[in-house]
Amino acid sequence: MISVIRANRYIARAAGTVNWIAAAAIVLMMLVTTGDVVLRFFRFSIPGAYETIGFLGALAISFSLPYTAAEKGHIAVDFLVPRLPRTARIVIHSINSLVSLVLFAVIAWQSMVYGSVLKASNSVSATLEMPIYPFVYGVAAGCILLCPVLVMDLLLRLRGAETQ
Amino acid sequence: MTPTTIGLIGIAALFLLIFSRLPVGYLMAVIGIVGFGTIVSFDAALNLTARDVFSVFSSYNLTVIPLFVFMGQIAFHSGISSRLFDAAYRFVGHIPGGLAIATIGACAGFSAICGSTNATAATMGAATLPEMKRYNYKPELATGVVAAGGSLGILIPPSVVFIVYGILTEQSIGELFVAGLLPGLLLCVLMVASILIWTRMRPDLGPKGEKFTLRQKLASLSGLIETLVIFVLVMGGLFKGIFTPTEAGGIGAFCTLAVALIRRNLSMEGFVQALFETTRITCMILVIVAGATIFSRFMAVTRIPFDIAGWITALDMSPAMIMCLIIGVYFLGGCFIDALALVMLTIPIFYPVILELGYDPIWFGVVIVLVTQIGVITPPVGVNVYVVSGVARDVPLNTIFKGVVPMLIAMIITTLLLIPFPQIALYLPSLL
Repeated sequence: MISVIRANRYIARAAGTVNWIAAAAIVLMMLVTTGDVVLRFFRFSIPGAYETIGFLGALAISFSLPYTAAEKGHIAVDFLVPRLPRTARIVIHSINSLVSLVLFAVIAWQSMVYGSVLKASNSVSATLEMPIYPFVYGVAAGCILLCPVLVMDLLLRLRGAETQ
Repeated sequence: MTPTTIGLIGIAALFLLIFSRLPVGYLMAVIGIVGFGTIVSFDAALNLTARDVFSVFSSYNLTVIPLFVFMGQIAFHSGISSRLFDAAYRFVGHIPGGLAIATIGACAGFSAICGSTNATAATMGAATLPEMKRYNYKPELATGVVAAGGSLGILIPPSVVFIVYGILTEQSIGELFVAGLLPGLLLCVLMVASILIWTRMRPDLGPKGEKFTLRQKLASLSGLIETLVIFVLVMGGLFKGIFTPTEAGGIGAFCTLAVALIRRNLSMEGFVQALFETTRITCMILVIVAGATIFSRFMAVTRIPFDIAGWITALDMSPAMIMCLIIGVYFLGGCFIDALALVMLTIPIFYPVILELGYDPIWFGVVIVLVTQIGVITPPVGVNVYVVSGVARDVPLNTIFKGVVPMLIAMIITTLLLIPFPQIALYLPSLL
């Protein structure tokens, strides 16, 4: 149990570290939009601002997936389950963790497939002609990094941990 | 099994399993994939899931969410709330219940730069509850006002729920923002009226505070100016069409950050917290949007959203009755489910009905935001009440729920006024 708790702590810390990529993407989004609007008053514009902001959004969300899950930051309806007996709670929590794990493993796998399709067809963005596939791989990376968080959650749940 | 039957099973599963505590976004994605896979094919379902996830995560239109959330988070961590409260307090603190009225005023002001009900309640709770305690305000008045004042955060623009509603229904986010303004101010006035009546009935709830000179009052207004300037700049530019909602969010976040840095009100630690909270909230919202996208793809192949509008309009009921039923569903749902999640769950089902019945989509957006906000402060799952109890740890939940009641009456009156007088929401957008 102690080793699981310790491993969980390391993984949560790693999720926080990965989240810096997301945080940086949000600051960049703010700077690019502001810069673009300000430059527009001087009849300039940042080329490809539109698509850059979209790609930064993809990075921001993908790389905040592990942190948000580790922080239990997702909306769930917490009305019924806390009123159930302990065994039922453990079973439901464990099933939830397992379902989440399978879901994100599948999204990661399919994003890798989708990314390689885009890579093979040389799909690029409209203005900057930036390849799109690295950002799809980014989504896959975010989902893959989320999996250890969900595995730890499952292990803790199976052992009856009830931290939320 | 016909696609319609599978669709109905999917909807039933969604509303049952939502109580399993699985995150709402995950659940919608899982049911969407399984349902679409059963009707079409699992290969197609998996394939489309990756595309949907990427298109939601990289959508330019959705980047408006992190930027407005970031703006609110910086405001949250840089003390703008206490300056707003201080100004409002100097003007009305000397009348009975004045601090509670000042709290509502400050909530309205803070809502103008923050689009989240929980963040508004948490911020204003931290800023105003200690003050109200100092002046011997009874906990039920103090905490009730803060919990309910948070709902102004979502009605007065910017507002995260309006953004999501606008994106889901392809309505103009700018128009929705303006439409929320008058109902938000009306609610504000009615909440103040509730406080006045309540403290008249029970003067011990909120004793008079000190009186300030005109000079002191005017001096406090400097704390308001920055908020007003940011609001006018961001909303003005958005309404005038000078920039897109995303750009408005970017400029708003930048200006709020600039003000905080110039005033030296934001520590490095506060900045990092604001940024991490922004990533967490954004991820939480966008995961639900992605889940809702995958789920609505499943709904589309069942044809239920198209059929349901037909079924409901074929019922022998007046549109007003149907509208009351729909509002009832939102009210009940709002008692259990987070406002944002509820809007995303139900819009694919109810939106075609609203259009079919001839109601204005902008008006409907304002009404459901208001009704779901009533849910946010009613038992058993009044999220804002929990937020406030997190700030005021010594006050029992029951006391807060008791304090919320007069504010709830104000919210219900606002909703009831909006039904016969849709102009309250639609007048300002008609001027654009």
